[in-house]
Amino acid sequence: MEEHFQIEMRNIQKSYGNIRSLRGVDLQLKPGEVLGLVGDNGAGKSTLMKVLSGVVIPDEGEFYFEGKKVSIDSPRAAKDLSIETVFQDLSLCDTLSVANNMFLGREPVKFLGRLIDQKTLHAKSREHLDKLGIDISSTKLPVQNMSGGQRQAVAIARAMVFDPKVLILDEPTAALGVKEVNMVLELINNVKKKGVSVVLITHRLQDLFEVCDRIMVLNEGKCIDDRLIEQFTLDSLIKSIMGSPDKGVGVS
Amino acid sequence: MKMEEDVYVSERIIKESQLKKFLRENLSTLSIFGVLLAVSLFFGIATGSFLSASNVTNLIIQVAPNVIVAVAMTFVITTGGIDLSVGSILALASALLATLLASGTSLIVAFLAVIAAGLAIGFVNGYVVAYHNIPPLISTLASLMYVRGLALLITGGYSVAIVGENWIIGMGQGRVLGVPFPVILAGFIAIIGVIALRYTRFGNYVTGIGANEESVRRTGVHTKKVKIMTYMLSGGAAALAGLIIAARLGSGSSNIGNMFEMDVIAAVVLGGTSLFGGAGTIIGSIFGVALIGVIKNGLTLMHVSPYIIQITEGLVLLLAVLINVKIFSNKK
Ligand SMILES: Nc1ncnc2c1ncn2[C@@H]1O[C@H](COP(=O)(O)OP(=O)(O)O)[C@@H](O)[C@H]1O
Ligand SMILES: [Mg+2]
Repeated sequence: MEEHFQIEMRNIQKSYGNIRSLRGVDLQLKPGEVLGLVGDNGAGKSTLMKVLSGVVIPDEGEFYFEGKKVSIDSPRAAKDLSIETVFQDLSLCDTLSVANNMFLGREPVKFLGRLIDQKTLHAKSREHLDKLGIDISSTKLPVQNMSGGQRQAVAIARAMVFDPKVLILDEPTAALGVKEVNMVLELINNVKKKGVSVVLITHRLQDLFEVCDRIMVLNEGKCIDDRLIEQFTLDSLIKSIMGSPDKGVGVS
Repeated sequence: MKMEEDVYVSERIIKESQLKKFLRENLSTLSIFGVLLAVSLFFGIATGSFLSASNVTNLIIQVAPNVIVAVAMTFVITTGGIDLSVGSILALASALLATLLASGTSLIVAFLAVIAAGLAIGFVNGYVVAYHNIPPLISTLASLMYVRGLALLITGGYSVAIVGENWIIGMGQGRVLGVPFPVILAGFIAIIGVIALRYTRFGNYVTGIGANEESVRRTGVHTKKVKIMTYMLSGGAAALAGLIIAARLGSGSSNIGNMFEMDVIAAVVLGGTSLFGGAGTIIGSIFGVALIGVIKNGLTLMHVSPYIIQITEGLVLLLAVLINVKIFSNKK
């Protein structure tokens, strides 16, 4: 049954000093599945996704990618598995241009790899921004002068450039207006159709009901609820997030 | 036909002339260039000899080693780091070269040993900064001390003559088509520096690390390696500069290059590279080197006391830092 999962995390544990941020979390994701990851502030959502992105190395835990055991011990390792992430803090370099941020670490090169191919860099960046319907006047602008929404859009565009198989979105709509939020939800539905697995972290619970197949609830570093979306109502979801899921359900 | 630029620019951007755009984007570099011209003009008027061909040539030869190191230092400071050990490395290189040659070591071996020493010290600096999170100010301060100590140990504090005519001497005293070799070398390194900082992945990561190191790391770049490389650049550049100075003077000494690091850092900061990291300009650094060189040279020609010159330099650095912090903390 393992081969049905795009990615699987088992028994992930991570402590910071005496804080046990993740206390043995399991997560499975099928191809084309959209998982909503919710929980109170400090529940460990971002840490879990940093672990999946190779940014944080867990103290304990295993990864399986398309059924095969893999190690995700660096950001590079995650990228090599086509796991792309929009981090909660966006992770942009303020003084670099939009295009340089989008292709950071994977710049198109020329002259035997010696020089960045500026023309291709900007053309590709423009192409991707247009494809996603993101309105940014010039790919040469440094991101420091941009609005919160534009910066978030750049971070999202970056995660989309290299055709991810697993797309992690950690509160991607926090700085967005109504129109842009709908754009992101539409984007999730589009990539889902292509078989991309998505993890969406958001506090906008109504959005979860629009795009998610399943919702997983974290509480103090543990998964306390994991159900298909049909089995949730807004009320039962809120109860679960507050730390007391409906009796009789619990972890499926 | 549309211009290439137009493809990427939407209607919301106010159209400005190429000239205006150039002025806006290069404001800090142009200002320092303006100051450089004004100060040069002042010394030209105040002294009869400042603008003479022989003085200008002399000045350019003198600042060439500073340019070489300032180019490398720009990379270090752009990552948000600093390298205080370059003056000591310069002295070690000069002492090591002269001592090796005096002991009969072949030219090429001596040359390679000197450059390797600079790279090795740079590696240690970078390793300590990148892997042990020691603030660069402290770790390179330690190097400033032990490297100078090494140089003194090698020479016993005396200067060692470099005798004979050979290509190493030529690196300090030779000319190609009438242009002094140190100047050609500095120009070449400056051009490589401009290209490397602006048009290569390495330069991108250097700037990115200064802006947000964790972001660069998260994209899969080996940021520690990039940081180590910047310190190796400054260490190697300082060794090369020391070699050129020793060759020019015809002797190696463990006592040269005192406060050299301050001259170079002041030049980079004056030139408009952000002390916070994330924004660096090689051209600016070169103008910075030129400005400090002109001030020192001009004041000397005016027979100003060397103590006053040092005070002036310190004040120029203070002013540069104040302006730098004001400009770049607003941007952050
Ligand atoms: N780098 C870190 N150092 C120390 N503690 C951390 C670090 N990152 C996360 N934590 C702690 O781990 C817990 C979970 O944080 P996080 O994953 O950011 O929660 P969430 O995203 O669900 O709000 C919190 O108690 C937080 O303080
Ligand atoms: Mg979070």
